[in-house]
Amino acid sequence: MATHQQTHENPSISEATNEVSETAKLESVFKNSEPIREDQVENAIKFLSHPRVRGSPVIHRRSFLERKGLTKEEIDEAFRRVPDPSPSEQTAVTSQDGQQAVQGQIQAVQHAPAPVVMIPPPSLRSRFRWYHAVLAVGVLAASGAGTAVFVKRSLIPRLKSWVRKIMSEEENDPLEKADAKPSLAEEAVAAAKAASAAASDVARVSQEMMKTKSEERKNFEELMQLLGVQVQEMKSLSNNIRYLERNSNNLPKVYSANQEVYSGLVKTPAERRPYANGSNVDYDTRSARSTSPPAPPADSSQPPHPKSYMDIMSMIQRGEKPSNIREINDMPPNPNQQLPNPRIAPKAKPWDYGQPPQDESSKGPWWQQKNPRSADFGYETTTARSIGIRNETSTTEPAAIQKQRSWVPPQPPPVVMPEAAEAIRRPKPQAKIDQEVVAAASDDQSGVSDELQKVTKFSESGGDGSGRLEITEIQEETEHQHIGQEGN
Amino acid sequence: MPVFKAPFNGYSVKFSPFYESRLAVATAQNFGILGNGKIHVLELSPGPPGVTESVSFDTADAVYDVSWSESHDSVLVAALGDGSVKIYDTSLPPPSNPIRSFQEHAREVHSVDYNPTRRDSFLTASWDDTVKLWAMDRPASIRTFKEHAYCVYQAVWNPKHGDVFASASGDCTLRIWDVREPGSTMIIPGHDFEILSCDWNKYDDCVLATSSVDKTIKVWDVRSYRAPLAVLNGHGYAVRKVKFSPHRRSLIASCSYDMSVCLWDYMVEDALVGRYDHHTEFAVGIDMSVLVEGLMASTGWDELVYVWQQGMDPRAS
Repeated sequence: MATHQQTHENPSISEATNEVSETAKLESVFKNSEPIREDQVENAIKFLSHPRVRGSPVIHRRSFLERKGLTKEEIDEAFRRVPDPSPSEQTAVTSQDGQQAVQGQIQAVQHAPAPVVMIPPPSLRSRFRWYHAVLAVGVLAASGAGTAVFVKRSLIPRLKSWVRKIMSEEENDPLEKADAKPSLAEEAVAAAKAASAAASDVARVSQEMMKTKSEERKNFEELMQLLGVQVQEMKSLSNNIRYLERNSNNLPKVYSANQEVYSGLVKTPAERRPYANGSNVDYDTRSARSTSPPAPPADSSQPPHPKSYMDIMSMIQRGEKPSNIREINDMPPNPNQQLPNPRIAPKAKPWDYGQPPQDESSKGPWWQQKNPRSADFGYETTTARSIGIRNETSTTEPAAIQKQRSWVPPQPPPVVMPEAAEAIRRPKPQAKIDQEVVAAASDDQSGVSDELQKVTKFSESGGDGSGRLEITEIQEETEHQHIGQEGN
Repeated sequence: MPVFKAPFNGYSVKFSPFYESRLAVATAQNFGILGNGKIHVLELSPGPPGVTESVSFDTADAVYDVSWSESHDSVLVAALGDGSVKIYDTSLPPPSNPIRSFQEHAREVHSVDYNPTRRDSFLTASWDDTVKLWAMDRPASIRTFKEHAYCVYQAVWNPKHGDVFASASGDCTLRIWDVREPGSTMIIPGHDFEILSCDWNKYDDCVLATSSVDKTIKVWDVRSYRAPLAVLNGHGYAVRKVKFSPHRRSLIASCSYDMSVCLWDYMVEDALVGRYDHHTEFAVGIDMSVLVEGLMASTGWDELVYVWQQGMDPRAS
């Protein structure tokens, strides 16, 4: 990636070598070096083994664990230990989940006709609760019908035969008994057949329901597409109207936010996710995005949106499009247009040398006239006084600084003894610098306190402008005043 | 203090790293819900009116963010709502612009950040859960970082280490990445709600701040990331953007849906050191100039862009 280093050969090389040595040691700073915590992994395994979790996409499972504070290594370890059919595939997950859901349904349907006494299959998911209910009702109806038929066809003849037996006792007993038994068996078989027929009816009905649901979804998709077509047509219509009504005032009226809280009307990008991920609806990115501000916190302290914002949202939800949108072609006219030659060399950043550019010449425009009392952020006009002070001190500074900004100076020599450098400083800022160094030192817990880093930090903490020893010597007095003013 | 009135709702404002008096503004029609967009390049002038537009570029879709190139003084990169990333050359007239358009993201591109140390690449963060790495002269992205479980709202380069960046996402995590590594190197579950913005401390390369829908700003040290260094309370609604000062080590600027811009010093007990209530709608964009100490700019849905010095009243004339 060392392209494009234009004129700053020296500092960039030294920067690079600094970075190489720093990154070798500091690289670990941006990486997690904690060992794997077994208790967290155990919790994660419990979580991942939960049946409901197994049905969710992998990315959601990972995201949940990340939000609980687990590191990547711990999450990977948990996934490794939990037997999972789809360990790391993200794209295949949604289709797999869909397949699993469908398979679960088919299994449920196939379970139904087998035994006479039927129980609802245990693998049904809670999502399909209403399927569950329908199936249960059907099962009950079937068993009820079966029992009723059974009763009607077996018990009643039995009753009749018993009555006949009482009436004509001796004669036809053996014959009728023999008759009753085969007929009883036949009736049982017929009842079972009827029950299974009823059950298969129920199965068919539930399958039909699934079909209608998918048909409904297809219809909905078609509807969406039709809406898209409608939007296109309306767009062209409005363009024509645009041409005719060029002069109309179309500034959206921005009312100041009122105190009402509009809850529930602001859709989030979240609500559009299921469509983007689950179905194959061709998401037209030019159709309304639901909102730009993200979801509010759960305690529903939603900021009051401007009235016209809500107007536009409701327009979009009704399917209308705001009339002020123009057809614009923003594609590059020449995609091979060459990049321009830079006219100015890149400037050094204030934090690279620990010295903020101080360009407060009295002749400077208003944006350069810094208010030295910037700790006091009241609106009192202290500029007059501040400019006066600036005038006295800024005579020698700007020249040096101007020179610095166009000429890139070499790195300051490393300070081997930070304490010695500290001793050079004045008492007042020294107290402040002391604080900062102590704070910085206490931050360096993991032994990352490279000498160079300390130096860099130290020169930055002296960022009132005294990072360069040369300037310290030459411009002591002016520096002192600077530090005095900026020492907050 | 000058004010610029844009025709569309403001989304982002960025000072040029080459010219003290130049800034770019990203705007979107109809609050960015549906409509066109516009990029304004503004120039500050010593006399009234204080700020004028030098050029503007129309786009078909909303512009959510803009970033100046660190290698070419007249070039800027724009992040658009139709998922495209466009490059504009302000030295060419608008009919010759844009000079590049990259269509790779599947959803709105929410932020773009140019690498301030290597100066040769930039990052885009999108609602399609990915962050992409690009170079201006390449026709396609160099890398795609896909790990977040939800929209990525911002990706920011580390000011000292040219290969390290951080990303803030709606999945409530902050991730640290190194472009030399295949995946993220750290995952910080920073907030319980969506993290809208993050920024590195320019003077302490291990410290960064995040801002969230939970109305707080948290300051983190990556070396001990289990608990934040500081939690800054004070905003009344979600904090949309957070920015570390390029000149003062512990100074943070933030803007929020409570329409205010706040200044914080996270190292002191009473962290809130300044508050500006100049916007009359959501304040969504903020920047602090790298070239001029104390110079700030903000923009919001009230279609206004303010530029002022810290300590002054942005609305003062």
